[in-house]
Amino acid sequence: MTADADTGTFRVFGTTAVLLVTEPGSLSLARSIADSELAAVDQACSRFRPDSELSILNDSDGSPTPVSQLFGQLIEAALRAARLTSGTVDPTCGLALAAIGYDRDFADVKAGGDGPGDAAGGAGQVSAAGRVPGWQTVRFDPGRRLVQLVDGAQLDLGATAKAWAADRCARIISERTGCGVLVSLGGDIAVAGPAPAGGWQVRVTDDHAAGPEAPGQTVTISSGGLATSSTTVRSWHSGGQRMHHIIDPATGQPASSCWRTVSVAAGNCVDANTASTAAIIHGEAALPWLRDAGLPARLVARDGTVQTTAGWPTSVRAGGRQ
Amino acid sequence: MRRDVRFAAAARDDGIRKIAKITWQAGLIGLVSSGLIALAFDMHATAQSSGGSGGGSISVPGQPPGQGQGTGTVTSGGS
Repeated sequence: MTADADTGTFRVFGTTAVLLVTEPGSLSLARSIADSELAAVDQACSRFRPDSELSILNDSDGSPTPVSQLFGQLIEAALRAARLTSGTVDPTCGLALAAIGYDRDFADVKAGGDGPGDAAGGAGQVSAAGRVPGWQTVRFDPGRRLVQLVDGAQLDLGATAKAWAADRCARIISERTGCGVLVSLGGDIAVAGPAPAGGWQVRVTDDHAAGPEAPGQTVTISSGGLATSSTTVRSWHSGGQRMHHIIDPATGQPASSCWRTVSVAAGNCVDANTASTAAIIHGEAALPWLRDAGLPARLVARDGTVQTTAGWPTSVRAGGRQ
Repeated sequence: MRRDVRFAAAARDDGIRKIAKITWQAGLIGLVSSGLIALAFDMHATAQSSGGSGGGSISVPGQPPGQGQGTGTVTSGGS
């Protein structure tokens, strides 16, 4: 860590969170704010908590369901991501994820224990989920805060909620403490307030938990967000096939991509994660798509070859040190 | 010129002046209204684009990432 920042690391959403502040004396308050905000987000949109608002909505059988302001904002963020990517990042992939076995906390999925996913697909079988219902089947009335899922749609906000929470935490902590803040939730990074001299140093790599020595590249950011999507980490085997959590809405199956890892910098973390997820699904078309959008990105192909866009610092092979 | 003809001509000119005045007023009101509507749209668009995640396109960073040194303070990777 840098000499002018204090840090806290903790577990949340089944992954690792890192909190950095430029004023060491503010870390305790920052952590308290983060704990409170992240607990609220988990209560709103955890797919694995039966008492979450998301679970209640998914069990509503298409009935209009009232939602909290926070959950409404999370749904709006997910629908916005879908709209901006023309449906490439689609929140109605809940059933598709369950069908491929990701229907419980990932630690349990990874362990390969018995679960509804195995039952749904049959022993050793993987359900053919098919095209997801589509984000247009989510009817959201922001004024009355009512949500209705039609055509059997089930939501999963995994592509946006964590990044959205990182943005929210960074903004609130910076406002309350007045210092510079970096919030990383499983590698989805949001920063707010004044950055340390030279910017926040971020190591981009395949696995956020691999540590700062992992092969990759170190870059600096001073504002906005940086997120990385990868098919290498949240993966498991089901029915003899290797699965990962990034669903192609067109097939309802894990995206078959030429990229194993994509990192994107954007004006905020949720936009960065929207773009990095979309890039994995787009495959080869991601390069012109990111360039046209003016988004700095680092794309690592399956063989480790690195490509960059829109001003991302020149890189080398993913296996190299830079 | 007969008196009734002069009266009719004066009445016609008076009517034309009134219509011209109304037309100018209507045009002015239209101009101001369209200006206000354009201003409102502009403010709305600005609010949307500056609202972080509320804009009509994926937001680009203020500046692209710079080249870092060493191992980094924090790691961004798949999770």
